[in-house]
Amino acid sequence: MKSPPLKIGVSGIRGIAGSALTPQIVSSFAAAFGTWCGQGEVVLGSDTRPSRDMVCAAVEAGLISVGCSPVRIGIVPVPTLQHHIRIRSAVGGVCVTASHNPLEWNALKLCGPEGVALRPEQFARLLDLYHQDVFPRVGFDHLGEVRIDGEAIDGHLAKVRSSVDLDRIVRRRFKVAVDCCNGAAAVAAPRFLESLGCEVVAIHSDPYQPFPRNPEPLRQHLAELCRTVRDRGVDAGFALDADADRLALVDENGEALGEECTFAMVLRHVLARDPGPVVVNLSTSRMSELIAAECGGFVHRTPVGEVHVVQRMIEVGARIGGEGNGGVIVPAVNPCRDSFVAMALVLESMARQELPLSRLREQLPRLHMLKERIPASPRTIASFLALMRRLYRNETLDLSDGVKVSWPDRWIHVRSSLTEPILRVVAEADTPEKVRHLLDSVMDYLRPLAPPE
Amino acid sequence: MRELKIGVSSVRGVVGQAFHPRLIIDFACAFGTWVDGQPVVIGSDTRRSSPMVRSAVVSGLMATGCRVLDLGVASTPLVSFAIRELGCAGGICITGGHNDSEWNALKFVGADGCLLNSARSEELFDIYHARGFRLEGSIGAVTSFREPGLVDAYLDYLFSSVDRDAIRRSRLKLAVDFCGGSLGPIADRFSAGIGHPVLAVNADPVPVFPHPPEPRPEHMGQLARAVGDAGADLGAALNVDGDRLALVDHRGQARSEELTLPLAVLCRFRRRPGPVVVNCSTAGSAEEMAARWSQPVFRSPVGESFVMEKAMEEGAVVAGEGSGGVAVLPWAATFDALQTLILIAETMASEQASLADLLSTIPARSMHKGAWRCPPNLAYRAVEQFPAAFSGAAVEAVDGVRLVWEDRWVHARVSRTEPVLRVIVEGQSREAADELFTRSRTVVEELLKESGEESL
Repeated sequence: MKSPPLKIGVSGIRGIAGSALTPQIVSSFAAAFGTWCGQGEVVLGSDTRPSRDMVCAAVEAGLISVGCSPVRIGIVPVPTLQHHIRIRSAVGGVCVTASHNPLEWNALKLCGPEGVALRPEQFARLLDLYHQDVFPRVGFDHLGEVRIDGEAIDGHLAKVRSSVDLDRIVRRRFKVAVDCCNGAAAVAAPRFLESLGCEVVAIHSDPYQPFPRNPEPLRQHLAELCRTVRDRGVDAGFALDADADRLALVDENGEALGEECTFAMVLRHVLARDPGPVVVNLSTSRMSELIAAECGGFVHRTPVGEVHVVQRMIEVGARIGGEGNGGVIVPAVNPCRDSFVAMALVLESMARQELPLSRLREQLPRLHMLKERIPASPRTIASFLALMRRLYRNETLDLSDGVKVSWPDRWIHVRSSLTEPILRVVAEADTPEKVRHLLDSVMDYLRPLAPPE
Repeated sequence: MRELKIGVSSVRGVVGQAFHPRLIIDFACAFGTWVDGQPVVIGSDTRRSSPMVRSAVVSGLMATGCRVLDLGVASTPLVSFAIRELGCAGGICITGGHNDSEWNALKFVGADGCLLNSARSEELFDIYHARGFRLEGSIGAVTSFREPGLVDAYLDYLFSSVDRDAIRRSRLKLAVDFCGGSLGPIADRFSAGIGHPVLAVNADPVPVFPHPPEPRPEHMGQLARAVGDAGADLGAALNVDGDRLALVDHRGQARSEELTLPLAVLCRFRRRPGPVVVNCSTAGSAEEMAARWSQPVFRSPVGESFVMEKAMEEGAVVAGEGSGGVAVLPWAATFDALQTLILIAETMASEQASLADLLSTIPARSMHKGAWRCPPNLAYRAVEQFPAAFSGAAVEAVDGVRLVWEDRWVHARVSRTEPVLRVIVEGQSREAADELFTRSRTVVEELLKESGEESL
């Protein structure tokens, strides 16, 4: 069987480890990245996938050969790695993680010296170096050297703790459950919550076991966490994805709140004390605008992708931003999606308002969202989007990332995925009937174009 | 000139030029494919570039499904021993051996602990050139294998080839120069093995060597002084990867590396005389020594894998090269400086003889060695011109050209490990050797001049 090809894009270079993501390609890509960074330290960490040692070794060889010194920090959450780049004043960072792709995949996520994923124009320059395939290899006496640093996780967790009202959280002695999806989150999340004074019930917390569920923290994947919350009578359930950049919540009744609620809840908590500009992507719930109107703030929208959100946050001076998929970004702590920041802020909100999670959920605007995915080749994606533009040419359109059509009470967004050959469709409205109708009417147009599965 | 040499059983190059991660990964993938994803041992020397090379090797082996047992810093003979002890399918030694610091190399070892011979190397290089790697299966794993028990088992194995008690009783005072190489870390265990501390020189592993790593008298000044100052009985200069040996006598006199092999023959024959294998560039004293016991000497092309292949065929009891690399058989599968040292120490202890006493029984010869930088095409042409430039000699074409007279010989060949032409001459007197060497140099100089190249 021919294996799926390599996928190279802003969110990284990914493929099935060995057959598509070969060590040769990885070492050349790392050499290109080291060339782009310039000589200095490059922080290197990984998630828990079985191919991690192979890929990390190839990355190290490529980096050392162009004079960069890899700093091994081991198995870490992605936000820990991004935080550590700035702590070490490194010239960049490489995280060996394929996020939510299946287990046999792997990928390189590349970050610049600010701890932020490369911007598209930076990535384009890197790709150019990679394709030219001529790297300034250094002589034996200028080679980089491997350094080992075991402080990254403690440093990151301490930084997050220092950003919240620790005393108030600790005093409440919360009882929480956390589902680490057997991912890199497992090496940090349980002890982080314990350091916030919580009594912790951890499930799926063995990083050497395969993923027990689909790693995306969507409501339908969290049945076991919900059951644990109910059985153990805890105050909150936290579901992380495997690389711990996204968070979904389960309330004290064992109800999964849906990943869209994470950012909305944190946003309301932050803006209530500190109004200001907010940045979210085009597919994020309109709860953000409603909360900003209530608490004070203006919402900027960007194409989907962490790098776009962070970039706009820097431009407009936003102190909070995020994504509807459960990503919360507070640049003063860490300029990337960070589930530890999100957990700390949710607990701080519970402690400050002295309310259970279900009541905090009730404070949020009631909107209804549906998400769909349609398998599609790059060619059919273009025709899908052209059809959308034609159908809705008289409505309010945003074409900065696929097609988004907005009305006062509802919207729908159709775009190509960054990581998989699919088309993502997201719709939201103020009643369940309206959103179902909106989604169905669009899907009726799109489905006939989809290739048979 | 591209500083890359792909020879039998090894690929060597200058780091930063042709020897870069992609090439190394390709070779590691080829080796992983050749062993069909079975477990592989790796060991590295201490040079600055070895961690980079190691990372590239690990990724290539893992991608082809191999479980990698990483011995860390380890000599070539230790890797060879570990492969046999642990039942692995092969091994890769990351070591530039006698090359200078800017070089590094992969040496490929088979399941029998021997460097790949020419036939097996060809299989490996075919896979490499076709890029037909085994990349579709599952990914392997890497384990750091730094068991002190392995080193002890290795030393016990070496000592089982001699009368260890004789060495212990003699309280022979040994000075060993490790050249900052792979054997330094086991100096203490070696001391424990012989029953009293050795005087260790340059035992700490260092990324840039304290002196050129080839064990030859001109690089052995520091050791010679240490022997003199400490009043040691014997000084041993080891190669960085533990396969070559040269000696200093109790007067602090560094002795030629050419003497190591005939001395090993003498020591080995005390216990068991038998066939000897040497390469075409090795001193004729090997034949004279063996003749005293009526044993045959077989000559192979230059290079450990050729020598050892021939040694296995002929059932040799000693095999080696004039460079100081010696294997004591049937124990060793590779040249092993430590084992050679133990054998010589045993003889000194049992016979209560000094090194100078032992060496005085070896016929004196005079040799010259040239390593002349020469563009590859001219190097091969120069070798071809040697037979016509000398007269009255028997011509042997085993490896380059060897011209043999009754009392002297000259051997010219293109190096497999460096971009140089090697010329070695031997005569019974200094004058005879000088004359052969000058004549050889003229042959090469004239060719360079004709071709408009710089002279030597």
